[in-house]
Amino acid sequence: MNEKGLSNIGSSTSLRMTVYASLMAALTAAGAYLAIPIGPVPIVLQNLFIFLSGLLLGSGWGTASVGVYLLAGFLGLPVFAGGVGGIGRFAGPTGGYLLGFLPAVCVIGFISNVSKTNVVRDLLAMVCGSLIIYACGLSWLKILTGMTLGKTLAVGMYPFLPGDALKMAAAVPIAKALRPVINRE
Amino acid sequence: MAELNVLGFHAGSSVLHQLDVRFKLMFLVVISLSSLKAFVPSLSLLTLVLMVALIHAGLPLKMALKDLRYVFLLLLFMFIARSLSVPGSSVVEFKTVSVTREGLYEGAIVCWRLVIVIMTGLSFVLTTRSSEIKAAVEWMLKPFPSIPAKRIATMMSLIVRFIPIIFEQAKKTGDAQRARGVENRKNPVYRLKMFSIPLIRRIFERADKLVLAMEARCYSENRTDSLLSSGVRDWIALVGVVCLCLIIIL
Amino acid sequence: MNIIEINNLSHRFADGTVGLENINLCISEGAFVVIAGPNGSGKTTLLKHLNGLLLPTKGVVRLSGVSVAKNLAWSRQMVGMVFQDADSQIVGETVSDDVAFGPENLCLDRDDVKRRVARALETVGLHHYKDQKPHLLSGGEKRRLAIAGILAMEPKVLVFDEPFSSLDYPGVKQILAQMISLHQAGHTILVAAHDLEKLIAHTDRLIIMQDGGIVRDGLPSQLLWELEAFGIREPCASRLGMKVHSWLN
Repeated sequence: MNEKGLSNIGSSTSLRMTVYASLMAALTAAGAYLAIPIGPVPIVLQNLFIFLSGLLLGSGWGTASVGVYLLAGFLGLPVFAGGVGGIGRFAGPTGGYLLGFLPAVCVIGFISNVSKTNVVRDLLAMVCGSLIIYACGLSWLKILTGMTLGKTLAVGMYPFLPGDALKMAAAVPIAKALRPVINRE
Repeated sequence: MAELNVLGFHAGSSVLHQLDVRFKLMFLVVISLSSLKAFVPSLSLLTLVLMVALIHAGLPLKMALKDLRYVFLLLLFMFIARSLSVPGSSVVEFKTVSVTREGLYEGAIVCWRLVIVIMTGLSFVLTTRSSEIKAAVEWMLKPFPSIPAKRIATMMSLIVRFIPIIFEQAKKTGDAQRARGVENRKNPVYRLKMFSIPLIRRIFERADKLVLAMEARCYSENRTDSLLSSGVRDWIALVGVVCLCLIIIL
Repeated sequence: MNIIEINNLSHRFADGTVGLENINLCISEGAFVVIAGPNGSGKTTLLKHLNGLLLPTKGVVRLSGVSVAKNLAWSRQMVGMVFQDADSQIVGETVSDDVAFGPENLCLDRDDVKRRVARALETVGLHHYKDQKPHLLSGGEKRRLAIAGILAMEPKVLVFDEPFSSLDYPGVKQILAQMISLHQAGHTILVAAHDLEKLIAHTDRLIIMQDGGIVRDGLPSQLLWELEAFGIREPCASRLGMKVHSWLN
């Protein structure tokens, strides 16, 4: 028996956050397929879970969660929705949004306060996060399609804004309810 | 639904299956990058090579087409957007919009390049086990002392492992709420809240159990290394791919 | 020889509630012990002390004479634990990946890991499923996979927390047969259960817990008539004045 293996037991808190970050990433992955059917267009939960990764896990673990998710997807593990895994997903028209998740979560976690709910700060964090996601997503979309800025916005941003507003409004109470679950001790 | 992608690993014994995962990842990046420089003749060549590779690897064609239908829609959208927005000599005109010859050509090229990238990715995913992918991650991240490579590999396993569990839980939560008439509530914020809170809470409860179970099984970041091996075959393939890419770029 | 020795063990949770109160217990090597009691009587809390998932507030737990608190990793390898919810115990993406998780944590070399995985899957009869995804297994198979994951660490003591919960009849029989054959192979086995019907015919010692303490300890056949007083249902055959038979026949 190797001595090193026996003496090295990961500290419990760090293991717990590792597992939470992984499960949040799994929720993000599944979120592309989870939708609440209201009105003509169902509300897809993926970016709600991105918001929550930042709000619940904070900047560091949130970034780790999304980063590992994207890396897993890039390397072809089955975590991306819609048939194409791997590198093709990043090169496709929606690749920019995906990549934007990473800085967005980092910023959301940075602005909001993990241990205490402050509605204004949480909302501000999510607005900034969304702006980052759109900035990345729209620039890549524009490069790929060669559309004008106006058209790119009309196709890649305006239709999603009402849904985003709803998700932000929902994310605040969700984060408030779940923060005590994560930040025990 | 229990899984995100139908097009996962397919057991087989093709050359692609036998290549070392690190080499395959390198090929993936190199071919994708060089396809950005490719035009009609080299794109045709690449398509041919990849077609042969995919068929040799045993691609389930019917399943692939079904699984890729959204991708085709996105490609179509890109093609149309391109053909409308690039200025040049118009082929068809309708009020203020005009489809240009240059637009059609550029749209086709961009879409074709994307198809190449997708096919490359597909041939990688089809022929590589996730345990190999994780081994490659550990190997790639090892030189960086501050990055916990083993932990990242463990996280990847957990993500893949938990996606079907989340779908299952989401279905249970949704069913339980429908049984109590949640569909009568039209307020979307209320619905989002009522769906997400129990779902995430349930998943986090599972996380707590998982942490205990992992500790009970001596979880440690100092673990057995994954097995990777490369041979002559991989180097021959490397030479082949480099030649292919040189032909494309030059 | 006693493989487990517990002296004056008390456990108080962070919120002040009493989990265990002054437990003294010795278990000899090769025993098949069932710990019975209603929910909240402290069964799981007691079991979690055996591999140091919980540490005593007072008292000491020893495995083969060695304190658990001082040798956490070693005791976790000695005492394999199968949790109530087998589904959330599974870590790997495939059956064999999951079984390999434990041995990999012990830093065994790759060939050794492979050998142990193969042997453990053989023991529980899941070797045909080694590349299967765990969520596609049946309830009984999932629990057998959890057992294999433990066996690959080559423990001396096997601890089962409510091993039959939410299993169908074939599942119960599979797990029961598995436990019996592991006992025959020389493992010490501890089972926590609130329902004794399925198990009692095979055990050689019955411990009854109530409110965090041990209230009865003895031969199952002698304690059966007392069970109902402690909130545990007496097996059906025993109520009718007959001998309790194995669920396997």
